[in-house]
Amino acid sequence: MYPVRSPGHDGAVTGTTTLRTAEGPVRPERPPLLRPRGGRVLGGVAAGTADHLRLDPVLVRIGFVLLAVAGVGVVAYALLWFTMKVAPADAPRPARAGGASRRQVAGLVVLGVAALVLSSRLDTWARGDVVVPLVLAGAGLAVIWYQLDTDRVDARSARWGLVVGVLLAGGGVVLLLATTGQLANARNGFVATLVVLVGIGLATAPLWRRLLDSRAQERSARIRSEERAAVAAHLHDSVLQTLALVQKHAGDPAQVTRLARGQERELRSWLYAPSEAAGGTWAGMVRRLVAEVEADHEVTVDPVVVGDVPADEAVDALARATREAVVNAAKHSGTPGVALYSEVTPAAVTVFVRDRGAGFDPAAVPADRRGLRDSVVGRLQRVGGTAVVHSAPGEGTEVELTLPRRTS
Amino acid sequence: MTTPLTKVFLVDDHAMVRSGVRAELGDVVEVVGEAADVAEAVAGVRATRPDVVLLDVHLPGGGGRAVLESLRAELPDVRWLALSVSDAAEDVIAVIRAGARGYVTKTISGPDLRDAVARVAEGDVVFSPRLAGFVLDAFSAGPPAPTPEPDVDPGLDLLSAREREVMQLLARGYTYREIGGRLFISVKTVESHASNVLRKLQLSNRNELTRWAATNRLL
Repeated sequence: MYPVRSPGHDGAVTGTTTLRTAEGPVRPERPPLLRPRGGRVLGGVAAGTADHLRLDPVLVRIGFVLLAVAGVGVVAYALLWFTMKVAPADAPRPARAGGASRRQVAGLVVLGVAALVLSSRLDTWARGDVVVPLVLAGAGLAVIWYQLDTDRVDARSARWGLVVGVLLAGGGVVLLLATTGQLANARNGFVATLVVLVGIGLATAPLWRRLLDSRAQERSARIRSEERAAVAAHLHDSVLQTLALVQKHAGDPAQVTRLARGQERELRSWLYAPSEAAGGTWAGMVRRLVAEVEADHEVTVDPVVVGDVPADEAVDALARATREAVVNAAKHSGTPGVALYSEVTPAAVTVFVRDRGAGFDPAAVPADRRGLRDSVVGRLQRVGGTAVVHSAPGEGTEVELTLPRRTS
Repeated sequence: MTTPLTKVFLVDDHAMVRSGVRAELGDVVEVVGEAADVAEAVAGVRATRPDVVLLDVHLPGGGGRAVLESLRAELPDVRWLALSVSDAAEDVIAVIRAGARGYVTKTISGPDLRDAVARVAEGDVVFSPRLAGFVLDAFSAGPPAPTPEPDVDPGLDLLSAREREVMQLLARGYTYREIGGRLFISVKTVESHASNVLRKLQLSNRNELTRWAATNRLL
């Protein structure tokens, strides 16, 4: 309910207690005096004040109404509405927001009725023919203010509200002028002003045009420079770092190759497949696991993936098993190249990891060598997949992993 | 190889790549010319009539495809091998469809490159594992081909079961010889399957292929 107290604001506790002891024990920092976005009846002045004073908004509203009858309340409300800032859109707000707009409409209707009653009574004090236009103009202004106050100008109803407000205010002003007999004068003044304004507008048209143009140019220049800054930041973090590393390791071809390959892959995925680089699909997982294995072992892996499938638990297990198979090939085959092929069909995801290295006799693997058996075969079996190893001494090794796809 | 050296023409906009490729080709072929952009390449190939053109997919002035399209009909004897760092499937497929006989990446090793050039010069097709993957991806966009007789061509829009098998083994990193041994067919048969797949790739105008190329910008 209350915002977390910000550091460096220690006086707030004592301030609270001296200001309003009735509110009970020590409280954290008082919320700022802002008009909330939700839970308004009119402009949110009462709600904001209530938040600030930690009172029930109903109490505050009753107070405002009582003061309004005396006349002071209206002025105070208007002044507060004018001066209080609107709370930021993401501000924490006590949960009373439901049905705000309907309540606001109700509030406006009540206010309108009150104004009418008031005006009929004013009739007895002053010249009625002045009061009605004044009330009309005031109501119109209030509607305009109210619509422009929140940032809902895009909504259709808000636009209609604005039109109604402008009509009301305009009608009120015209009526006022008519009743006071100043309409003709005002019209002459208006026409004169209009002529002057149009003249000024036409005279300065090129200037406006240039202003608009330069604004558009400025905007696109800013966008361009922001884009360039983003690219530069990325290149700095990736390519330039790698180039520096390459210079440092110039004597170590294997290291340089690995750096170059890793960088190439990273840049490629950044340039061409940003969504895939974010992960979430099988192809992305393969790409990532290949990058990891290549970073850790002296091996180059050429992955070819046909089709794709969104990641889930089973696919994740398949990726782990694939990684293990590739690591095995990298460690034991004795060749620098491993081929990885994966095909996604409606029935299954299949992976082939192949090397042209030493090979081995699968039947002769001692029982304590658990790499393939546990991390590849076992892992896949748990998600319903199978793993087959084809190998013979001197013929290289191929591990075939199959994960049936559940048709859901 | 045969007694007269294979005449090779290099097209790549990077001088460093050209000199690297030239060094890797060594003296088993005769490099008859080099070009750095489309116009130069068209003029150079026309003048030198090479056996094989090593063609970069990305070139200033329209890309490798533009070179192929302007010369293919005029010089039907010239064989084209696409050479690229590009992983973008649609670029690769576009060059293959324009008439290249194969595609290798620039990271290919020297012996593999020499082998690829020799095979293309003899009229074979060179599928790198990656290209085989692209092909499978492109053709599996539609329903799979449940063809009972493996050697009957079911039309340009589908790969036969055998062709699919060959492509899968190529993608898995097998050589033609190994594939032949595995499928109990001769190397020549493997080659003819590969050529058939290339022909389908070039001639098929199935919707899936174009749609696939448009949506899958990448492997």
